[in-house]
Amino acid sequence: MTVPTQRKAPAPAASATTGAVPAPVTPSLTSDQLRHLAETHGLKQMGVRPPLREYVRNLWARRQFTAVLARSKAYARNQTNYLGQLWSLLNPALNALTYVLIFGFILNTTKGVGNHIAFIVLGTFTFRFFDQSVAAGAKSISSNMNLVRSVHFPRAVLPTSSVMSELFTALPATIVMLAFAFGSGFLPDMDSIPITWQWLLLVPAMALLWLFNIGCAFFVARWVAITPDLNNVIPFVMRLLMYGSGVIWTISTHVTNEFWLKILDYQPVAVFLYLVRSCVMDDPTIPQSPARWVWGAIWAVSFIVVGFLLFWRGEERYGRD
Amino acid sequence: MTDAEIDYEVDAEDLTLAAPREIRDDAKPSLVVDDLHITYRVFGGKKLGTATQRKDSFVRKLLNQGRSHVGSVSEVKAVKGISFVARHGESIGIVGINGSGKSTLLRAVAGLIPPTKGSVYVAGEPSLLGVNAVLMGDLSGERNIMIGGLALGMTPQEVEASFDDIVDFSGIGNFVYLPMKAYSSGMAARLRFAISASAVPDILMIDEALATGDATFRNKSTERINKIREQAGTVFLVSHSLATVEAMCSRVLWVHQGELVADGPAKEVCAQYKAFVAKSRAKS
Ligand SMILES: Nc1ncnc2c1ncn2[C@@H]1O[C@H](COP(=O)(O)OP(=O)(O)OP(=O)(O)O)[C@@H](O)[C@H]1O
Ligand SMILES: [Mg+2]
Repeated sequence: MTVPTQRKAPAPAASATTGAVPAPVTPSLTSDQLRHLAETHGLKQMGVRPPLREYVRNLWARRQFTAVLARSKAYARNQTNYLGQLWSLLNPALNALTYVLIFGFILNTTKGVGNHIAFIVLGTFTFRFFDQSVAAGAKSISSNMNLVRSVHFPRAVLPTSSVMSELFTALPATIVMLAFAFGSGFLPDMDSIPITWQWLLLVPAMALLWLFNIGCAFFVARWVAITPDLNNVIPFVMRLLMYGSGVIWTISTHVTNEFWLKILDYQPVAVFLYLVRSCVMDDPTIPQSPARWVWGAIWAVSFIVVGFLLFWRGEERYGRD
Repeated sequence: MTDAEIDYEVDAEDLTLAAPREIRDDAKPSLVVDDLHITYRVFGGKKLGTATQRKDSFVRKLLNQGRSHVGSVSEVKAVKGISFVARHGESIGIVGINGSGKSTLLRAVAGLIPPTKGSVYVAGEPSLLGVNAVLMGDLSGERNIMIGGLALGMTPQEVEASFDDIVDFSGIGNFVYLPMKAYSSGMAARLRFAISASAVPDILMIDEALATGDATFRNKSTERINKIREQAGTVFLVSHSLATVEAMCSRVLWVHQGELVADGPAKEVCAQYKAFVAKSRAKS
């Protein structure tokens, strides 16, 4: 095939001497010819959303990138402090102590639970993982603008790695959480927290919560990237969820309305809190519940699938300001 | 500083290279840009055009006042209909005054901003080297090499294998273990260039990234650019130094206010641009 030449003859020499801005170059090929030229040479179009299959494949190909990014960010977070990485343990510990002091000792919000310190500690640690993941997901695109503006890769890497980096911070925090819970069993008036095989179930519970968090991060990442104002609303939604999920109080002893009880009990965050508590605590009011495990799996899978699709549909818009 | 004072700082001895090869028109295209339009959405600030004082009624003034604080979104048309074809092995300079849309054009070609209208087709993966060379300022150069390499699609083994090469090429020595925010702008640019060039991109776009480099680095980078071109890559170079453009590029595009006003051999377009610069200097 012969390709018509693109470059036109040099502009009239006049402008070289007068210094005027020449008239815009008129392209020597029409749009159709250009598209044809691109297609015959197998060029691929930029700035359009790739098909879902290809997008997933590209995302999978960047899995190591995602993990390295997550690890580096988890590490960099505490680098600017004198105590450095120690803060990834101190932070959640101080957070839990605050709530235990107010709601465990001063106010009594956890009627019927044998060890309310463990109840609150497990609640605040778990909720914090969720809360921080959503916040990180919302910022994941704007906080990586340098990267977004210089390299081309599936943007779903960013929310995923943000939540993964929260997981890396949550893992040491989980050890602290378990130590707190176990230690609280030795206080007077508290039920003891025996270490049983059930503690192993914490692994799938955290894994489900992690998937759920990634799903939520996809939602907020897209919303915030397109309408930055929403970032101001997220903290309030989080507070609403915190009070509506029984992080620091027992839902069943405070809610009497059947309808609200069902909603508050089975909404995703409450389900995950229940799962974590039922794994660690040996409390008759929080028994292992297969139904909640099923609910947890349903919430995790549906959030991650719907969130991912939603995020993918906005792919071509994320680089834009 | 006016545009007219654009430097010609490059010494002729710095650029003792073979003159850029001419590329024949029937070489395979590596990039096709078709009627590209890019419009930015900007939050905050006054609507363009309202900056000048006008006699408005009190009510309208009040309304405008409110608008600049609540819900003010304006549009900036940065690129207005650019079409061209680039071929394998070509090195193309882009010149134009500040704010004419050069960086925007490159970002669109790299697939980093979606076109508002029109389309861009490329062969392979383009890689853009911007003015801001830092990928992750909080992280050490070492981490940045890993992240940059992986983002460009290399495997961790490949990045590790070329790690020494990258550090050598960038010449920053032990600074590679310090956070990148502790680098000078030239050091950051050198590291970024080394990372981007190590992946041997099909299309390498350099947006003023060489401007902060010293003479040694400029020589090294020119060599690397020539190597990329020999491997059938295409190189784009945005620079305000016409000497650099003339020495490194075979073809030059002149972008003015978002439009392509000249496209041709480096010598001719640079001469035209120089005349334009001289004239606007005389005016101001
Ligand atoms: N992030 C942005 N948001 C909004 N407008 C932008 C943004 N970046 C650039 N613009 C606008 O787009 C136009 C072109 O800018 P661009 O950065 O492409 O110019 P340039 O040719 O690279 O200039 P310079 O020589 O100064 O680098 C300018 O009018 C600028 O105001
Ligand atoms: Mg620029």
